[in-house]
Amino acid sequence: MIENLALLIEDDEDLSDIFSNALQAAGYHVEAILDGKVAQERLTQVVPKIILLDMHLPHVNGADLLKQIHANDKLKNSRIIITTADNVQAEFYRNMATIVLVKPISFAQLRDLTARFLTI
Amino acid sequence: MKKINAWIQNFIEVSSSDPDDQRRRRNLNIIILGMAVLLIIQIPISLFNLNNIDPQDNLFIGLASIFMLLSMTGIYWLNRVKEGNLSSYIFLAVVMLVVSFSDTPEQIANGRSLFVFMIPIVMASLILQAYSTFIFAAVSSVIIGIVATSINQSPNVTAMLSYFLIALISWMSSSGLQSALKDLRTINADLDQIVIERTNELADALTRERIESGRNQAILNSIADGVIVFDKQHVATLANPALSELTEIPVQTLQGISLDNFVQVKSIPQKSQQSIKDLIQKSEHSEINPRVEWGDKVLSASVADVHDSKTQETIGSVAVFRDITQETQIEKMKDNFVAVVSHELRTPLNAIMGHAEILQEGVHGPLNEKQLSVTQRVMVNVSRLLSMVGDLLNEAQIRAGKLSVKPEIIQTASLLENLRVAMDKAVTDKGLELITTIGNDMPEELIGDAQRLQQILINLTGNALKFTEIGSIAVSLNRVDDEHWKIEVKDTGVGIAENELPFVFEAFRQANNLEFTTRQYGGIGLGLSIVKQLVELMNGEIQVTSGIGKGSTFTVVLPLLKEMKGA
Repeated sequence: MIENLALLIEDDEDLSDIFSNALQAAGYHVEAILDGKVAQERLTQVVPKIILLDMHLPHVNGADLLKQIHANDKLKNSRIIITTADNVQAEFYRNMATIVLVKPISFAQLRDLTARFLTI
Repeated sequence: MKKINAWIQNFIEVSSSDPDDQRRRRNLNIIILGMAVLLIIQIPISLFNLNNIDPQDNLFIGLASIFMLLSMTGIYWLNRVKEGNLSSYIFLAVVMLVVSFSDTPEQIANGRSLFVFMIPIVMASLILQAYSTFIFAAVSSVIIGIVATSINQSPNVTAMLSYFLIALISWMSSSGLQSALKDLRTINADLDQIVIERTNELADALTRERIESGRNQAILNSIADGVIVFDKQHVATLANPALSELTEIPVQTLQGISLDNFVQVKSIPQKSQQSIKDLIQKSEHSEINPRVEWGDKVLSASVADVHDSKTQETIGSVAVFRDITQETQIEKMKDNFVAVVSHELRTPLNAIMGHAEILQEGVHGPLNEKQLSVTQRVMVNVSRLLSMVGDLLNEAQIRAGKLSVKPEIIQTASLLENLRVAMDKAVTDKGLELITTIGNDMPEELIGDAQRLQQILINLTGNALKFTEIGSIAVSLNRVDDEHWKIEVKDTGVGIAENELPFVFEAFRQANNLEFTTRQYGGIGLGLSIVKQLVELMNGEIQVTSGIGKGSTFTVVLPLLKEMKGA
């Protein structure tokens, strides 16, 4: 099993690239997934340290994935970071994740935040 | 009985242009009718010998009666068709004739029949001009004179004198009656004239009124906006067809409708009902120009007092409704468009920012000084773009009502600390000073939406920074009273001209010439508009005092919330 795995679920290639760089800079091994359906499958196979979840995804949306994560006992120690551009949605998911980040999310912000999770 | 009466009335009625002539001829008809009835009774009695007189006499009386009846019929016909005295003279002549031959010459000259001659004299006063009584007195005198002479008797002068005496009495009473009737007719005519004049005046006044009100009605009818007038008791006294069309309530229903019924007759939302009632009843809660939902329409309403033109007393209110459905839709489309576009713009801008950050952070290897400088310039410009797009999105969200305030407990000091973090660098870069103070009476903790309060502070400070070249920007938080606190942002900048002050909170507008200031100061003029809307969202108020060269002071007064709502 890969140590310090970060599962990055984000359909926007640019953001995926930037987040990926930030997570790597923070010291994670990053696996980036662009599609909800792929993520659904992958979540049954790996136990990541961090799951970075975009709520707006093709095929299977973030809300369904979030339910799946909560239902999976193996993932109970994984930290969930929800990313969304919607303030109202952010409020709604506040209790269902370790942290909710409202886009835009800067490279430095994500790097520094996730780096802290490695030390705790 | 009524029928008989009507028949009699119809029988005696004559038409004439002269009322005296009409009266006399009607009298003649009455007499003819009376005589005809007597004759009709007399004829069978005489012909069938029902009385005990000599049959020879009876035959004579019967034939004379038939002759009389026929004469009466003829005279009646003549009287009906011909105006004037002719029929009356003929009638009296026949009567004279009958009287002259109905008795023995002795009786006529000096006996009982002398009295019978009085009948035509008196009749003459009824059915002819008053003076005619003397004619018949004379004729009667001549007849009895001739008859007396023919039988060698001396004429009865006493009888002749009494004829003239009766003629005199009849003449007096008849002419008295005639002049009394004439007076009466004159009075009647005067009265009629007065009535006609009054009627004409009234008709004129009514016509004028109708023309006047018709003109007003025509004006009212051709107004495209819905107009309804309520009296002091809030009962509708007037409504134009446009309102009927707008509200889909028939004009007849609108007429006299009460305010309560007016807002309830169509099922419109409770909030709209209340807005209309507040507006017309001049409640203090009333907005100036409330928008009301009416079915699938959106109406803008306004109201004005109606004053009596003489006493200046308020006699009601006139409400005007305008259909702004289309404008509202366009506005909504614009807001949606802005929201979508700005959201779509933000995504690539954030990507550019992220990529530039990756370069700056040296993720792909260290950059030389030139490369670092270029990267930083990219980031500065992108962040400017991002903040503009953010403003646009905020504005659109507020307008669409999608932005809500989420109250939480916040540390008063942290508001200014965060402001310093965000603005210190920009202020220092421009060589200005940022002074932040918290009044002693401010509570340590506040209840409010931290993010939105922060946005208000940053926008106001950013605005001050944009328009200030030398000096300082002072931001202070102070208690106003038990229930309010305020944010004050004071700068030493260019200031705002008095005539521009009313517009500073309008979207896409900067004081002064828009093009000029935009070039000089940048930004798209949304910062203050957003602040104002956020402040209003928090039930607060914003004010500005300024003058050219005197700097500007923006004051935001907000309610001091004591406890969390719903918490």
